[in-house]
Amino acid sequence: MNIPAKKIHRALLLIGCFLASSVSANVAVTEPAAAVAATTAPAVVVEATEAKKSTSTADHSKFDALKKNFKSGPEVTKACLTCHTEAAKQVHSTKHWTWEFLNPATKQKLGKKNIVNNFCTSVTSNQTFCSACHVGYGWKDDKFDFTSENNVDCVVCHDTTGKYKKLPGLSGHPNYKKMEWPPHSGKFREATDLKTIAQSVGKTSRASCGTCHFYGGGGDAVKHGDLDSSLKQPKKYLDVHMDAKGLDFSCGKCHLSDSHEVTGSRYAPTAVDANGVLVRGTKGDRNPTTCVACHGNTPHPPGTAAVEKLNSHTDKIACQTCHIPAFARGKKATKMTWDWSTAGKLDDKGHRIQKRGSDGNVIYDSKKGDFTFERYVIPEYVWFNGEVKFTLFGDKVDTENVVKINEFQGSAGDPDSRIWPVKTFRGKQPYDVGNETLGVFHTAGKDDAAYWGNYDWDKAMEWGMKAMGVEYSGNMTFVETEMSWPITHMVAPKDDALECDQCHKENGRLQNIGGVYMPGTNNTPIIDLLGFAAALMALIGVLIHGGIRYYMSKRG
Amino acid sequence: MKYIIGAVAALVLVMVVALTQAQNLMFNVTPSPYGVEETAARIQANIVRLEGRGWKLSGLRNPAKAVAAGGMNVPPVLLVEACSTKYSGPLLKVENSRIYSILMPCTITVYKNDDGSTSIGTMNAGLMGKLFGIAEIMDEVYADQQAFIKFDPSRPAPPLIKTRPGGGGGGGKEDAGC
Repeated sequence: MNIPAKKIHRALLLIGCFLASSVSANVAVTEPAAAVAATTAPAVVVEATEAKKSTSTADHSKFDALKKNFKSGPEVTKACLTCHTEAAKQVHSTKHWTWEFLNPATKQKLGKKNIVNNFCTSVTSNQTFCSACHVGYGWKDDKFDFTSENNVDCVVCHDTTGKYKKLPGLSGHPNYKKMEWPPHSGKFREATDLKTIAQSVGKTSRASCGTCHFYGGGGDAVKHGDLDSSLKQPKKYLDVHMDAKGLDFSCGKCHLSDSHEVTGSRYAPTAVDANGVLVRGTKGDRNPTTCVACHGNTPHPPGTAAVEKLNSHTDKIACQTCHIPAFARGKKATKMTWDWSTAGKLDDKGHRIQKRGSDGNVIYDSKKGDFTFERYVIPEYVWFNGEVKFTLFGDKVDTENVVKINEFQGSAGDPDSRIWPVKTFRGKQPYDVGNETLGVFHTAGKDDAAYWGNYDWDKAMEWGMKAMGVEYSGNMTFVETEMSWPITHMVAPKDDALECDQCHKENGRLQNIGGVYMPGTNNTPIIDLLGFAAALMALIGVLIHGGIRYYMSKRG
Repeated sequence: MKYIIGAVAALVLVMVVALTQAQNLMFNVTPSPYGVEETAARIQANIVRLEGRGWKLSGLRNPAKAVAAGGMNVPPVLLVEACSTKYSGPLLKVENSRIYSILMPCTITVYKNDDGSTSIGTMNAGLMGKLFGIAEIMDEVYADQQAFIKFDPSRPAPPLIKTRPGGGGGGGKEDAGC
């Protein structure tokens, strides 16, 4: 047990208080009700959404093209395109539309369409559900027309009402009729009011980007850890930039976009930006989302030696490492593990089981297996040079070791590497033994092959692998996997940045970082002894020298 | 002279021991294998199981929430509060011991450490009792306290009971234990 001196003092103070109280009859009685109320507000608070006055020069409710009772999303898009003639063409070339990304460095074909992750695993064969987060309408299989302009969903990014919702299972459409949601819940969602929504479009916001990005992995806060619905109206402690009563950054403030192409992809992140402040408007292909792009290469105002020391750390440490001391610091816990291998357990009547943990999160679901959640998560730390190598479908997998779905490249000796905070998500997921590759399975649908309908792994795998163009070997098991996510949102106020002794101590935060010497992380007795001896000798030398001078001055 | 030196040395020794050991004596810190919420929930469940000994949950506080509202980040901390009339009654009845109501309700803190682990903090009720001359009652409280923080991993995670702080003069509920 290691309790700091402050606690000792408090303990002694407490004893003192008791002793003093026992001899004093004059004990002040105070009313604790106010303090009680202040510290015990309800755990779940409905977030306030402040309506902001639009600064747009166009009132979309006055456009004739939008004064229609739209029957479908594509009809709305058609109306949008009457003025914004090039918008859909621009969207067609973005990752938000193609769900594909060719990494120029590794030549790996990435994007949601190609990745197999360790959350819901794969989009393939599950488009009907996954396309709830696609900026399009109607993607349910590989016959989807990616060239159709009317299939682009303008509203999902530009809605300002917060009432537009694309539900899983509708192939990227919102519900046009009143429907029960969630299924079998007895709750109903009214038909989407497309006319009102179309007349209220505007700039993107934290809320509109968050419609998908806060809910990645199948629920609020599940995937990223540094992105969840707490960021719709965050307080300063959660993010200094997005603080709703402060700087109030929208996502687009950093993730600048041009022709609908949004910068700052996680598929090709910038680990090191040594180019200083990026003046907005400067031509080039620099990533504007880096901290350096605004704060420069010496972000701590020069002055004292201590501050200089902080600036000198930037050659080894990413800004995020110190300034995001923990993630999932908002109201939501993030998912940390997902074990698909335990899915499929049913109750005595053959019904689906759901169990909740102490914090209210679902920790077991027959459809998905076991989960763990955590709030205020201390990140793991890795050397990172911006290159991420993925294990893709078809890659031979070594089941003897934990399979790294993605692996951050970098090392201490690499001048382009920095120490980065990451969320490492651990799971157990299907593996095709015969093909020696990660498994792709059909999760949801109204057919008889979907795992969430039949709890039959073989059927689900057969369908999923076929959709990937591979014949299922008929033999599957589960492999342990890891996937890492760079932590870059939820930037804390500067006073909450890491203190020196959170890393520079034995078993400190960076204890697993190799290749670099960090003072204070360990000690060598002989070196300590030599140091103390040198200091002692210096002191003795000073005393002797001073003594001799004093003696000589007395002698005249 | 040698007696004076001996007395001074003994005094210094006692002070050193007190300073270095006070934290161990006054507070007990126990690691928990669970997260903060689950640990607090398991403690609550244990308290509920000891209702036969008069224990009632009287509150669950989240001091980190108030700090966050002030704009600062602190790791999760939950204070589980419970009280037993079996122990509080005799103390509150006698004027000289009424001051010990300052220790009510019994509070157990559950907090997250910088390395992500969870700790449980309890006051050393046994020592308190000896210091203040209420050893008989506080020894029993100490024994119950140990039962609160003993977990049975075969039991599933119970839900966190979000009780409003109750006991004492703050308009507490009658069934809040004290």
